[in-house]
Amino acid sequence: MAIKTILIVEDDRFIGEMYVRSLKKAGYTVDWMIDGNDGLIAARNKQYDLLLLDVMLPERRGTEILEALRGTEDLIPHSKVIVLTNFEQDEESRMAMEARADAYLIKAEITPSKLLSVIEQLG
Amino acid sequence: MKPLNVKPQLVKDFWPRFKRGAVILIIFLQLLILIAVAALLTTSGFFRDNPIGSLATLVAQSILGVVASLIIYRFIARPVKYLLAALVHVAGEPTNIAPPNPNEKMFEKSGFKPVLQAIYQLASDVKDPVEEGQGTPAQNGEIAKKPEETEESRALLSTAIDQAICGFVIMDQERKVIYASKATPVKVDTDGIQSLDLIFNENDTLESWWDECEASAVHAEKTWPRIPSKLPNEEDRRFFDVIASYNKGTKSEMVITLIDRTLLYEVGEEELDFIAFAAHELRGPITVIRGYIDVLSDELSDVLQEDQKELFRRLNVSATRLSGYINNILNTSRYDRRHLRMHLNETTVTAVYDTIRDDMDLRASSQNRALSVAVPDGLPTIAADTASLGEVFSNLIDNAIKYSNEGGVINVTAASKGDTVEISVVDHGIGMPSSVVSNLFQKFYRSHRSRETVAGTGIGLYISKAIVESHGGTISVRSEDGHGSTFTVSLPTYKMVADKLKAGNNGNEALISNDGSWIKNHTMYRG
Repeated sequence: MAIKTILIVEDDRFIGEMYVRSLKKAGYTVDWMIDGNDGLIAARNKQYDLLLLDVMLPERRGTEILEALRGTEDLIPHSKVIVLTNFEQDEESRMAMEARADAYLIKAEITPSKLLSVIEQLG
Repeated sequence: MKPLNVKPQLVKDFWPRFKRGAVILIIFLQLLILIAVAALLTTSGFFRDNPIGSLATLVAQSILGVVASLIIYRFIARPVKYLLAALVHVAGEPTNIAPPNPNEKMFEKSGFKPVLQAIYQLASDVKDPVEEGQGTPAQNGEIAKKPEETEESRALLSTAIDQAICGFVIMDQERKVIYASKATPVKVDTDGIQSLDLIFNENDTLESWWDECEASAVHAEKTWPRIPSKLPNEEDRRFFDVIASYNKGTKSEMVITLIDRTLLYEVGEEELDFIAFAAHELRGPITVIRGYIDVLSDELSDVLQEDQKELFRRLNVSATRLSGYINNILNTSRYDRRHLRMHLNETTVTAVYDTIRDDMDLRASSQNRALSVAVPDGLPTIAADTASLGEVFSNLIDNAIKYSNEGGVINVTAASKGDTVEISVVDHGIGMPSSVVSNLFQKFYRSHRSRETVAGTGIGLYISKAIVESHGGTISVRSEDGHGSTFTVSLPTYKMVADKLKAGNNGNEALISNDGSWIKNHTMYRG
């Protein structure tokens, strides 16, 4: 299944705009949410092909969004998830996240063009 | 032969003398007996009547004599040899013979065990008078002449030791804790067996040092500074300087003193926290810088002049290097806090290198170096943490660029070697003298020359070594002053790591998941 729609949850405007810009340019349909609550609501309302989740977010952390979506029951069975963070987590939460996400990436290491190639590989 | 009149200078010098003397004595006595028998045969007329029989008698007599002498010699020489070997070690003379281990079956059978134990015990009494109080009851009896005082003083001693801030631990030859004072961090497992509750650095544990001692020492001492009892974020984390004293074959084979340095090292912990937070903080702006350079150089590629594109490439290279340095700092702070974990995955050298290939090509070309990478197809797979190993390669290539000349060639090669895969980074640059090579992997080490001429922090190779060793591999360097250096990373093949984990039989099997491609908690693996 090719990825067409993407939801980004990212509170840093510089970084969020950067992803939106390059993803839109590459032809994806992109929605962008700034805080964790809005992110969770958006993910529940619409089945995106891909979720790009930051971890440190206002209102609700990326880990909590993922827990709510894929904890007891997988509410987004057809979606891929990429967790993006600059602040690496302690071992347990990282393991938990790796188990539920399709990729776990360090933002500072992933330029937009690298992100595009990761998304292509996932799709 | 009077070997005893000549005093040998070293204990070990006695052995060749003893051997030589014994052999000469055997030959001399055999000849003497031979001559006497021959004389007897001649004078009795037996030789004249039956020359062949006489000769046969002489030959048989010599053979029997030599065999008998050798058996007697062996019987006497063996204990002498072991006695001397033990004495050589006790006297601290240089030797490459392993000290005889009193617990070996052979010594138990022959009854030689108590002899060796006595030698080691006597030696440890002389060398470590402090330990007398903790010695065997028999010795305490001898030292304290009045038995009623011994009881009392023992109770006093034990109370005093429990009151001390230092911890004392005594471990026996089976490496079991037989005494631990109150201040010692010990954990008790479900069978009620006590063990030290300390987190040693993976490559430098008490166990590994004990193994070394067993192989090659009678007495040894070692200090480990700053050993934590818990992982960061765990409650009641304490830090100790750990001093161990090893005495082969004694009942208290390992005596360990722990000095609680929590107050001192906690400050350092806060600094490490600060470093980690600061490094993470720096990643935000770097994400933006690297990202926008990426976006802009793409969007502007049609408008930019060739020289402007080169400026963009330089921006890109610099931003990438910056994030590499931050990774080095973060990994070092993790490693120093015993928190560096590898997420091993079955992969290939090529796949790991591919993740950094573009950055490296750009880095080399923008600094006018020719980077030649020749990694053959079909190398065995390795168990690697791709991101960390990529950082090792980029650290080595960075160094090769730094310490080579403008226009120089850097070769990256890989080859299969037994159970390992070897990756080499070769520069033909300035090289270094052997005095520098020996310190190269130490934290913060910078040679005198590089301090003055090249910028750097001295953690790149330190953390590279830590990462490679956490993979169960080794890193080494050959260098010739003025002609360049070769850094070689040797990594065990995936098959070997997987086999080792399976054979380990200590619950590690679960670490390899069903599809065979993940080894999850690598800290369990010790190469």
